[in-house]
Amino acid sequence: MRADDTVECHVLVIGSGGAGVRAAIEAEKHGDTVLVSKSLAGKGGCTPMAEGGYNAALREGDSCVLHKEDTIRGGAYLNNPELVDILVNEAPERFLELVRWGAVFDRTEEGEWAQRSFGGQRIPRTCYAGDRTGHEMMMTLLERLRASNVSVLQEVSIIDLLKREGRVVGAVALDRNGELTAFQADATILATGGAARIYDISTNSATGTGDGFAMGYRAGAELIDMEMVQFHPTGAVYPYDARGRLVTEAVRGEGGILLNSKGERFMERYDPERMELSTRDVVARSIAREIAEGRATPHYGVYLDVTHLSPEKIEEKLPMMLEQFLAFGTDIRKEKMEVAPSAHHFMGGLRITPRCETTVPGLYACGEAAGGVHGANRLGGNSLAETQVFGRRAGDTAGRAPSRGTRIDTRQLENYRRKLDEFHSGGVNPVTVVKKLQEAMWNGAGITRNVHDLERTLVDVEKLAKKKLLAQTPMNRAECFTVQNMCLVASLVIRSALLRGESRGAHVRTDIFQSWDAANSPYGHTYISIHHAGIEERKVPA
Amino acid sequence: MKRFTVTVYRHNPAKDQRSRYQTYTVAVEEGARVLHLLHAIHAEDPSLSYRYCCGTGQCGSCAVRVNGEPVLACMTEARDGMVIDPLNLPVKKDLLVDMEPVLGKIASIVPKDVECIPSRDEVEALKPLRSCIECLACVSVCPAMEVAEFAGPLSMKQEMRLAIDPRDSCDRITDAIRDGLFMCTTCQYCWKVCPKKIEIPGKAIEKLRRMANQRGLTLPRHAEVATLISETGRSVPKNQPTFLDQVPEVIEPAGPVRGTVGFFVGCMYNNRLPQTALDAMEVLSRNGIRVIIPHEQVCCGSPLIRTGQTDILPDLMEKNIAAFTCRGIDTVVTMCAGCGSTLKNDYRTPFVVKDVNEILTEIGIEEPARLPIRVAYHDPCHLLRGQGIQKQPRELIARVAELVELPVKCCGAGGGTRSGQPEVSKALAGKRAEEIEKAGVEWVISSCPFCEFHIGEHSKRPVKNITTLLLEGYRRKDQDRGGEAGESAAA
Ligand SMILES: Cc1cc2nc3c(=O)[nH]c(=O)nc-3n(C[C@H](O)[C@H](O)[C@H](O)COP(=O)(O)OP(=O)(O)OC[C@H]3O[C@@H](n4cnc5c(N)ncnc54)[C@H](O)[C@@H]3O)c2cc1C
Ligand code: SF4
Ligand code: SF4
Ligand code: FES
Repeated sequence: MRADDTVECHVLVIGSGGAGVRAAIEAEKHGDTVLVSKSLAGKGGCTPMAEGGYNAALREGDSCVLHKEDTIRGGAYLNNPELVDILVNEAPERFLELVRWGAVFDRTEEGEWAQRSFGGQRIPRTCYAGDRTGHEMMMTLLERLRASNVSVLQEVSIIDLLKREGRVVGAVALDRNGELTAFQADATILATGGAARIYDISTNSATGTGDGFAMGYRAGAELIDMEMVQFHPTGAVYPYDARGRLVTEAVRGEGGILLNSKGERFMERYDPERMELSTRDVVARSIAREIAEGRATPHYGVYLDVTHLSPEKIEEKLPMMLEQFLAFGTDIRKEKMEVAPSAHHFMGGLRITPRCETTVPGLYACGEAAGGVHGANRLGGNSLAETQVFGRRAGDTAGRAPSRGTRIDTRQLENYRRKLDEFHSGGVNPVTVVKKLQEAMWNGAGITRNVHDLERTLVDVEKLAKKKLLAQTPMNRAECFTVQNMCLVASLVIRSALLRGESRGAHVRTDIFQSWDAANSPYGHTYISIHHAGIEERKVPA
Repeated sequence: MKRFTVTVYRHNPAKDQRSRYQTYTVAVEEGARVLHLLHAIHAEDPSLSYRYCCGTGQCGSCAVRVNGEPVLACMTEARDGMVIDPLNLPVKKDLLVDMEPVLGKIASIVPKDVECIPSRDEVEALKPLRSCIECLACVSVCPAMEVAEFAGPLSMKQEMRLAIDPRDSCDRITDAIRDGLFMCTTCQYCWKVCPKKIEIPGKAIEKLRRMANQRGLTLPRHAEVATLISETGRSVPKNQPTFLDQVPEVIEPAGPVRGTVGFFVGCMYNNRLPQTALDAMEVLSRNGIRVIIPHEQVCCGSPLIRTGQTDILPDLMEKNIAAFTCRGIDTVVTMCAGCGSTLKNDYRTPFVVKDVNEILTEIGIEEPARLPIRVAYHDPCHLLRGQGIQKQPRELIARVAELVELPVKCCGAGGGTRSGQPEVSKALAGKRAEEIEKAGVEWVISSCPFCEFHIGEHSKRPVKNITTLLLEGYRRKDQDRGGEAGESAAA
C-alpha cells in the first residue's frame, strides 16, 4: 500500500469465478498477485451456478479431434480454430488437475469418470458432479486459493482500467463503502464473466453485467462477436420474479422431453435426428416458436418432462433441480416443468491471442470475458473447461510479464472523484434504467433480430446511457457504474448485430435472406473498439 | 401483484449508535421470494444493504433471518408481516454480515504427493458434504460457538470431508479435536437451518468422534461412561433405588383401559431422577393408559453414539428392541428427549416410538386444576429438533399454568459436553439461567432429564418435568374436590 492508498502488485486479477481464481493461482507462481472481486470470492459470477458439467475427451472412442469438430460445428464455424485446439487439448489436463486439488466429480461403477451427453456432442463428454458441477469446481478452487499467497479483496468493484503510455497499468475501484481505491499492476487480467443480465430474462448471476467488456472497450481493447448471445432453451417461467432461472441441459441429457400445450413432442418437427439434444440455438428458437404460435403452457412456456424417469434417477442425477422446483412448488418426479428461453451466455468478448493477450498491452482476458472460443454458439460444458484452460494461460502469461512498476497517474483519479460526485447530484434511480434496458434488449435484440428493431433499440439504449443516475448513498455508487456498463455493453451487442448481415448460430436476422449455410459463410468475426468496427471477410472453404 | 408489509432490521454501525426496525409496504408478484421483496424495497429505498448473487440457492450469499430463523432469501417465499433480520453474526450494515472471517478459516486439502483418485464409494460418501454453499446459517445459530473457542459446524464439516478424502495428506482428527470437536452439544440446530440439509452433527461430528475413538483419542470422561455402560448397562451409576426397582412389569390404569404402551425409561430417569418417571406413570395411568415396563431394558446407547464410541451399540439395540417385541408391544413411550430421539432416528424399530408429550396430547387428557403460577418452558434440543415436538408440551403446560416463552436455546447438557467439556456446558447453562431470571417465572418446565438436571444445577428456579407439573395440577384438583366434598358434607 502506498500513502495514496494504491495497492501495488505484479498481477491484478479481476473476478473470482472459475477463470479468475484459476488465473490467480497460476499468476502467483511468478509474483505478487491480487485478486479483486465484486462479490465475496467464488460467490458471484456464473461459475458456482453452472450445473451440467465440464467437457473433456477422456473416454475410449473419444478424442480431441472429435471434441474440436463438435465444438466448431456447434459454433457455426465462427470459432477461432487455434483457440479451440487449445481448449480441447488442455481440457482433460485441467480437469485432472482439479481432481488432484480435491474436486469430487462423479465416477461410474466401472471406475471411470462419469460423463453425460450434452447437446451437439457425438460422444458423452461432459464430466459432472451431480448437477452442481460449477459449484464443485468453485469449492475446489477456493480451497486452493485460500492455501495460496494470493491476496484476495472481496466486495470491491473495479470501475475502470487505468492506462499510461498505451498500456494498462492498473485499475480504479470502489470498496464496499463506495470509497475509491486504486491498483497498480504490471499485468491486469479481466475475468469478469458475461453480461446476459442486460436482458429481461436471464439465467445469470447478479454480476453478469458485462463490466469487463465495458472496461476493456473504454481502455481501447477490441471485442469480437458481441452479437453472439446464447439463449438457453430452458429457463424457468415461475415464479415471475425468479423467471429465467436455469433448468440445466442435463435434464434433457438424462432423458427429459419437450412437449407443447397440445402434448406434441415438437422437436420432431425442428430436428428429428437430435431431438431435445440438438444445439441450444435450435432448441431455443423451436421453443420460442411454439410459444409464439400459441401452443404455450399457462405460464407462457413449454413443458419439460422427466416424469417417465425413475424417482431415484431424478434424485441422484438432478438433485439441485429437484430441490429448486420443490421450493417453488413443483415436484418434478410427478409433474412436468414449464420452461422458456432465457439469455444465458456471451460467446463474444475481448479478442485474445492463445496466450490470452488482448489488443491492449498489459491487459489479458479469460473465461466468458474473452471471445472466440465458442464461435456463434457455445456447446454446453465447454465453458467450464474454458475457464480452467484459459484461466491458467492468462495467469501464466500475465505472471511472466516483465516487472515494470509503472506508476499509475494519480491525477486520473480526480476524474473519478468528480464522477462520483456527479452521481450524488443525479436524479434517476438506476433500478428503473436497468429495467427499461433489459426490456428493450429482450424485445429489440433478443432471440431473433431485424434491422428496424435493432436500430430503434440502439436509440433507446443510447438515451438510457445518458441518464443522470442517482447514488443515494456512497454504497450505491458502484451500482451506477454497473448500470452505465450495462448500457454500453447493450449498445455493443446491437452495433455488432447490425454489422453481421447474416443468420449464424445464435444470431438470427429475420430480415436477411442468405444463400449460404454457416460452413460456407463469407464472414468471420465482427469486431468493435473505440477505434473501429466491422466484420471480417473470410475465404469460403472450397 | 400483492402488497406486503414487512419489518426490516436497519443498522449502519459506522453512523448509528443503535439498530432500528423499519417497516415497508411494497408490491411483489405472485410467488415472490424474500429476495424479491428486498429488491422491491431497495428500489424505493436504495440505502438498504443486503447481499445476493445467484438468486437460485447456489451461492450462499443471501442468508438472513426471517421471523428469527435463518433462511436463504432467494428461496424462501415472501409473506405479509415478515420480520427480516441479519444472521446472528457481526453486522456490517443492515442485512449484510461479515462472512469473511469465517470463510477465510475453512481448511484446505493438502494433496498427497502420489496420484490418487477417489473410488465411486468414496465419491458417494463425500458428495453430501460437498453440497455446502457456505451460507453460514449453521454458524450463526451454533450455541457452542457463542461460549467457547469452537470452530463451529462448518469447520467440522470440512474436517470430515478432508478426513475421508483419500487424497488428503493431513491428520484431520487431531485438527478437529484442536478446533473443538468435543465442544458440540449435538443440539441439531445447525443442520435444521441448513438449506442443503447437511447433517453435520450426525454425519460429520459424531463420525469424527468415532474416528477419534478408533485412534484412542476419546476424552477420558467419555471413555468412563462407555465402560460403565458395558459393565452395568447404564450410563449413570446407581446410588439409590432405581425406577425399575420400584415398579412392577405392568401398571394397570385406575379406570378403564384406553390404550397400552411399552415404556422406555432411560438411564437418567431410572438411576438419577426416578421420582420424575414415577410421576409420569401416575399421569399415564390416571389417563387410562396401561404401561408395560420390561425390566431387562438397558441404556439406549445415545451417550455412545454422541461421543463416537459405538462398538457395543449393536448389543444394546438388540436387547432393547427384543425387550419390547417379545411382549408384542407396538407403541413404545419415551420421556427422555435424548432416548426418544435415538430410538426414532438411530434405531430401526419394528414398533412405533412416541414421546410422552405426543401420547398425552393424542389421547386427550383429563383436565387438571390450574395453578396460580407463571412458568417458562425450556425446549430440549432432542425433543424440538431431534423429534420435531414443539406444540404438544406447550399445549399441556398451558392447561396448568401461565406459560412464558423463552428464546429457544441449548442449555449445554448434551452431546457429552457436560462430562467432557464442562466449561462449555456450564457457560451455556449460565446464559440459560440469566434468560430464565429475566423471564420472571416461578418454575422452569422441561421434558428431558439432562436439561432438567443441568438447568436445575445452574438456575435459582426449580426445574420440573411436564408430567410432574400435570400431576401437581391433578393433586390440586383432588384437593379442591376433597375440600368441596368436605365442605358440603359439613353443611
Ligand atoms: C446458470 C448457469 C449454468 C451454466 N452451466 C454451465 C455448464 O454446465 N457447463 C459449462 O461449461 N458452462 C455453464 N455455464 C456457463 C459458465 O458457467 C460460465 O460461462 C463460466 O462459469 C464463466 O466463468 P468466468 O470465470 O469467466 O466468469 P464468472 O464465473 O461469471 O465470474 C465473474 C466474476 O467477476 C466478478 N466481477 C464482475 N464484474 C466485476 C467488477 N467490475 N469488479 C470486480 N469483480 C467483478 C464477479 O464477482 C465474479 O466473481 C452456465 C452458466 C449459467 C449462468
Ligand atoms: S449440533 Fe449444535 S452445538 Fe453442535 S455444531 Fe451444530 S449447532 Fe453447534
Ligand atoms: S452446512 Fe449448510 S448451513 Fe452451513 S454453511 Fe453449508 S450450506 Fe450453509
Ligand atoms: S442469492 Fe445465491 S443463494 Fe441466495
